[in-house]
Amino acid sequence: MLNVLGINFAYNDRENLRELTQLRTLASLPIAGKYRIIDFVISGLVNSGINDISIITKNNYHSLVDHVGAGNDWDLNRKIGGIRILTPLSQPGMPENAGLYKGTAEALARNLHSIKRTVAEHVIMTGSSVVCFSLDYEELLYTHVKSGADVTAVYASSLNGYKKVPLGIPVFSFDENMRLTGIRGNEDDITRQEATWSAGIFVIKKSLLEALVSDCIARGGYSFYYDILDYLKGNLMIKGYHYDKQLLEISDVTGYMNANMNFLKSSFRDTAFERPIYTKVKDSVPTLYCRGCRVKDSIVADGCKIQGIVEDSIISRGVKIGRGTVVRNCIVMQNAEIMNDVELQYVIIDKDVIVREGQKLIGHEKYPVVVEKRSIV
Amino acid sequence: MLGMVKKETIAMLLAGGQGSRLGVLTNSVAKPAVPFGGKYRIIDFTLSNCVNSGIDTIGVLTQYQPLELNTYIGSGQPWDLDRLFGGVTILPPHIKGSHGEWYKGTANAIFQNIHYIETYNPEYIVVLSGDHIYKMNYRWMLNYHKEKKADCTISVLNVPYEEASRFGIMNADADFRIFEFEEKPENPKGTLASMGVYIFTWKKLREYLSRDENDEESENDFGKDIIPSMLDGGERLFAYEFKGYWKDVGTIESLWEANMDLLDPNVPIQLDDPLWKMYSRNNVLPPQFIGGDSVIENSYVTEGCKIDGMVKRSILFPGVTVEKGALVNQSIIMPNATVREGAVVEYSILAPESVIGAGARVGVAEGMDDASRRQNITVVGRGSSIGDHAEVEVGQTVSGNLPGKEEGEAQC
Repeated sequence: MLNVLGINFAYNDRENLRELTQLRTLASLPIAGKYRIIDFVISGLVNSGINDISIITKNNYHSLVDHVGAGNDWDLNRKIGGIRILTPLSQPGMPENAGLYKGTAEALARNLHSIKRTVAEHVIMTGSSVVCFSLDYEELLYTHVKSGADVTAVYASSLNGYKKVPLGIPVFSFDENMRLTGIRGNEDDITRQEATWSAGIFVIKKSLLEALVSDCIARGGYSFYYDILDYLKGNLMIKGYHYDKQLLEISDVTGYMNANMNFLKSSFRDTAFERPIYTKVKDSVPTLYCRGCRVKDSIVADGCKIQGIVEDSIISRGVKIGRGTVVRNCIVMQNAEIMNDVELQYVIIDKDVIVREGQKLIGHEKYPVVVEKRSIV
Repeated sequence: MLGMVKKETIAMLLAGGQGSRLGVLTNSVAKPAVPFGGKYRIIDFTLSNCVNSGIDTIGVLTQYQPLELNTYIGSGQPWDLDRLFGGVTILPPHIKGSHGEWYKGTANAIFQNIHYIETYNPEYIVVLSGDHIYKMNYRWMLNYHKEKKADCTISVLNVPYEEASRFGIMNADADFRIFEFEEKPENPKGTLASMGVYIFTWKKLREYLSRDENDEESENDFGKDIIPSMLDGGERLFAYEFKGYWKDVGTIESLWEANMDLLDPNVPIQLDDPLWKMYSRNNVLPPQFIGGDSVIENSYVTEGCKIDGMVKRSILFPGVTVEKGALVNQSIIMPNATVREGAVVEYSILAPESVIGAGARVGVAEGMDDASRRQNITVVGRGSSIGDHAEVEVGQTVSGNLPGKEEGEAQC
């Protein structure tokens, strides 16, 4: 077991996921049929031998608490280490919105009591909007320790082969020794050829993190990127670590759609599932393919009953698809029921939605239709 | 004693049988660990019944090839049986004092574990076997047992008269009190067939078990010895009629048929029942991927499967691959088996990890009707590999590897 505390931020301040994160936090957003985003994060940490994990939440975290439970499904129901969800702590006498952190440094400061209690020597922080599922955290830690850096920041330079820089993401600049020289947010949606953007993953000594966070709050700062890293880049040795493998990037609905659709490619699937990805076990029955159904190029989870046509889609657990129905380029979440003779294309159907007979919903690849959780169409 | 808890009812699950009529399928696993229904093992049905009936203390008696079964049950967590007090306990034969012995019979197996049972100080004990497919609320049967003030209640199925001679028949009066038990009678007097589900009042059973143990003639079997001697002793034995789906999956053909029953909407066994969930140990596998050239109809397919071929009226277990141009029809494909390009598998059971080579033909018979093919199921054993373009004839069993043939080579 590594001497590491894993910290995951279950939310992202710059996300724009419309109805999808109305009732849930980013980390518990369903993905790839039977998973939530956090499954890829936690499984990655667990697969690298990190068994002490804290999840910092901000709001809408009910579904996350429900999903993670005691951590059994990730083998994290432990006496030593294990998983804990840190919900916002509101103390008597605080201003009314005190629980809502202005930035990650403030979030860390508010959870310092928990961070201080663990005995780990290092901290690895991860986000939920960029998921580097193939990252070997053990190697990352080794590189960090060997380089003598105070902070190691993981960056990416392409989005699964595309030279795209996600909107709003912090972009790093480094000198020739890969030492951080500046950070700026990517505020315009311009495609840059050679940007090195943050994967939201950092390695830092726990005692240093505690000191930096306390100091930052004392100065009136709240942002980890700007009030700690950028502010102290001259004093601290902050080094970059290049992650050049496949990743998930989810900050808007189109990104969410793309992240899901990536799983329809066998090369992407093979990498993503190379090591086990754990998730909550639901004891669903196998999926029943009925007479006359046609399923092509799709991912289907257990517990479904399919009578219609499904193409290039991601179907979650317990979904029912009726006779004469055509589902193309869609994401259908858990327990949704699509009745007979429905036509759906580029639609994201959230959990427990019912689409009634004969309905037709067509979105666009760049702007999919989102049907909110539990609604009836 | 402080904090002492008592369990009113505990279950003892007999899982030590070999199931020799399942042939190569039980070469390395006990019958209760044989895969069933897409993502289950046979024992999941009995374990889930217990949990759904509110019985949380279960002793599982193992003897034949217990390794895989032990690993499968583990802490009992998938069935919610990892409890502070009670839960699931594996009970293998063991040495007591200076000597030990194998379980000589079903009754002897319970007798050897009296200490386990007494830990919980139960009023009633449910004796079950881990090799039947059914969904049953033992709680209702227990209520019946109490109402009748019975010493023993035996669950029975009312079978057609023609089939009665295949079963152990309980002859009972109008009040369902049993007066006679006949094992596979030639001329049955009744049609109430024992399902191998017993509830005993523990004090009474304990008495008969000890007596049976001292009887050197006894085979130490519930059906052959305990039930007859309780009848002789004038105890109150009652039949409890069960009116649902129940199947003994003792043979290859019945195992195949019980699996296929799951696909038949007219057969009253529904797996997808939120109020009576079937629990099982899940593998950590990604969802199934269905490729662009696939056709799947009337089949159950589960996690980790990758389908590019044609699948008809079949049950596919986790991690099965069906390659392009292959056909799987009326078959049961157990975990991690692979059917390569262009191969044809019909009316077959492929055991876990088996590989069917490209263009091979397994259980293919032209011109043979459905009824006779159902009676001639082809079996490929665990880890066996059938070479490219090889042929496995209808009803044959292959264990080990079968060499491949050149394409177009004459079959001899």
